[in-house]
Amino acid sequence: MADSPPGGYFGRALVIDVRDASSRVMPLPEVVLRNHLGGVGLGTWLLHELGPVGADPLAPESPLAFVFSPLVGTPLTTSAKFAVVAKSPLTRMLTDALASSHFAISGKLTGHDALVLVGRAEQPSVLSVHGSTVALHDAHTEWGRSAADAESAVRARLGGGWQVASIGPAGERGVRYATISHDGRHAGRGGLGAVMGSKNLKALAVHASTKVAPADPTAVLAAARDLRARSLGRATEKVRELGTMANVLAYNALSTLPTRNFQQATFEAVSPLAPGELAAARTVVRSSCASCSIGCAHAYRRKGGSGKGVRLEYQNVSALGPMCGVSDPDAVLAASARCDELGIDTISAGGTVAWAMECAERKLLDAPWLRFGDGSALLRALDEIGAGTGIGPLLALGSRAAATVVGAGSLAFAAQVKGLELPGYEPRTMQAMALGMAVNARGADHNRSGAYEADLSGELDRLRGGEAHVRAAVESEDRAAVMDSMILCSFLRGIFDEPFVEWAALLAAVTGWDIDATELRATAQRIVLAKRAYNLREGWQPADDWLPERFLSQDLTMASGRTASLTPQRLRSMIDGYYAVRGLDPDGRPATGAMPDSHASPR
Amino acid sequence: MAETAGVVLAGGRSSRMGTSKAALEWHGSTLLRRVTGILARGLEGPVLVVRAPGQPLPPLPASVEVLDDPAEGNGPLQGIAVALAALADRAGTAFVCSADLPLLHPAFVRRVVRASDAADVVLPVVGGHRQPLAACYRTCLAGAAGRLVAAGRLRPAYLFEGARVVQLEEGELLGDPALRLADPHLDSVAGVNTPADYRAARNRPAPQVTVRRFGALAGGGETGDRTVRAATLGAAVAAVGVTLDRYVIAAVNGDQTSRDHELPLVGGDVVTVLSADAGG
Repeated sequence: MADSPPGGYFGRALVIDVRDASSRVMPLPEVVLRNHLGGVGLGTWLLHELGPVGADPLAPESPLAFVFSPLVGTPLTTSAKFAVVAKSPLTRMLTDALASSHFAISGKLTGHDALVLVGRAEQPSVLSVHGSTVALHDAHTEWGRSAADAESAVRARLGGGWQVASIGPAGERGVRYATISHDGRHAGRGGLGAVMGSKNLKALAVHASTKVAPADPTAVLAAARDLRARSLGRATEKVRELGTMANVLAYNALSTLPTRNFQQATFEAVSPLAPGELAAARTVVRSSCASCSIGCAHAYRRKGGSGKGVRLEYQNVSALGPMCGVSDPDAVLAASARCDELGIDTISAGGTVAWAMECAERKLLDAPWLRFGDGSALLRALDEIGAGTGIGPLLALGSRAAATVVGAGSLAFAAQVKGLELPGYEPRTMQAMALGMAVNARGADHNRSGAYEADLSGELDRLRGGEAHVRAAVESEDRAAVMDSMILCSFLRGIFDEPFVEWAALLAAVTGWDIDATELRATAQRIVLAKRAYNLREGWQPADDWLPERFLSQDLTMASGRTASLTPQRLRSMIDGYYAVRGLDPDGRPATGAMPDSHASPR
Repeated sequence: MAETAGVVLAGGRSSRMGTSKAALEWHGSTLLRRVTGILARGLEGPVLVVRAPGQPLPPLPASVEVLDDPAEGNGPLQGIAVALAALADRAGTAFVCSADLPLLHPAFVRRVVRASDAADVVLPVVGGHRQPLAACYRTCLAGAAGRLVAAGRLRPAYLFEGARVVQLEEGELLGDPALRLADPHLDSVAGVNTPADYRAARNRPAPQVTVRRFGALAGGGETGDRTVRAATLGAAVAAVGVTLDRYVIAAVNGDQTSRDHELPLVGGDVVTVLSADAGG
């Protein structure tokens, strides 16, 4: 089967032992590809296959998978994306993060649908893959440098045509929410950079050596033209014009902007962080990932200043601004830049620092300098996380593990699920999203569950979670499972009228499969359950599908005067409903025979 | 069960008006649509309409439940009995009003309901007149109301005889800062009973509201605040050149998001218009 893979695939992964750069080809049968597509779906399958049960995420034997997709290399807009999948050192469950641009194309055109790294190099190294040729290079000169600097240095050293994904100092030090970066994009959530660092790898460099053809090039080209035209329509207008930063003022108005560690949902000093205010004193540079017609990235640079500027997204501004009570835009820009230099996830960094600020306020942490609203304190905390000094080692654990160390009830206000810090969505005023964050395999997450869309759709009561919210959360997870596996950027989602039908048509053109929407919905369910099954085998317990006590015991007063309340009973009811729709047993475990796949149940 | 429902009594002969008041137009909507929307804004529970048997009604949102009076001509007490019985296992109390209150304000509704903890009936008194059709009733009064109707004792005042009634005088009503700000003359209870009343009501300007635009809808990232006169969400966004559709949504005072063009607005509302593509 691997000799004649479906269109868009090579039908094989390359499993590399980083210790000595030895490698073996792992055939990927067509049934596996069709069942899991690519990206996070195929990555989950690979982790089931190659990850030793119960292994420490930072142990040499734990795999780190860079997974491509059938669409990579086609002219379909936003398809130049890759997934990085591993057992998370932050959650000790599955984590999967997407990044994009040229690394995806060159990585796939090494001739593999995935590159899976195991083992540990004896010294700081760069791993290069050019076709089936794998080599280790000394990385002492890059070690300690930022991911961006390391990427530039490695590309300069290896020569033209190489694309590089690298880690920053935080990944080297095992910060549990360290990132892997490529060209300013980050596989951000869950500590994948720490997994890479644990293998003594500063960077992975890839070089294209072959080509891959879709099954029906004419149909793919026509689809690409159509998608590109639609990608420039009103559905993407927001992210094209202002980027996701457009959310800052809107979410504040809707009482969904996490503020001071979720103690409030509106930030009275939000104005300086609005995109218009930021742009008044700065130059805004817009850019795109490879193969993308949208161009959502907006970087801000002081007028008259130099450099590329700092790329701002709603999530990093939310986490490093209102979440920490910081309204000084220069401090937020500096903090965001510092996270990029260190190679840490801005959401988890902001969430953990905000938790620490509240601990300091309550005198649970001996850090009187760490105050809400103090931009310099935020920067100091980030520096200590990166350097491993002061309170840095504690905060490098993430908020859940740090709260376990501090105790004194601080876990109740550590805003995380399964150890992953919440993104910038207030669960009490977005109760479909509350469910989505509670049950998602990755933890509190806005990419694998986009249920916030339902909350703001006007079609359900966002303050009163119920059956409609369950349906919305399941649908959102299913859509994300397909988009993140085939892979298309989630910012495209608004252009599809019948998503599963249209996605099936795209896959059919690329792969040659007679796939339809019904099959694709089953695939989505399979991928979601496979992630859950992986977590289960790694120790997941029913209590892991839950929200922190703060959200269930403290009401919020909204700008409208209404009170937003999420009771444990309501959350329990929604979770029970979710389990029923997913075909899980009452404890959230996949029932025997729930899906036709060997990974449905823990082995 | 602690929730308060909303009930609009849409039946009645409307003999002085000469036509059904429920369908009368007021600044782009109907009186019934407006009053049901105001109740939905002011209350947490379901909203019901009680009509005369087979009475035609103007279009209403799907969330509004419609009940029929079992017989015509028994007056409002029968409607109260029907509604309270239907709500008995879903709400502890119900704010009951007529359909002819174009100036009813959510702050008035909330103020009345807030006094219901120690009462079976909360009865506002405005201009020296008790307002049984802008009042709050405990749903456990359903049986008593039904027995009175069966006995032909059809005035709401009979229901008060055996109930714990709290009267709210004007001073008590306006002691609520939110209500004092929103409706200082207590126009909430100004009914439209005659053609002259209706003409006067139509001559009143639509409420003054602020429309706040975000993101690409504002241009350049600035919020585009505009003060306009509009009685509905659709009119407010149209006044700033925006249409609610698949890509655009709005929220009133930062509460629920909506594309309901007839969602009623009141003076001082802030309408936030934003891109429907949430997230990022």
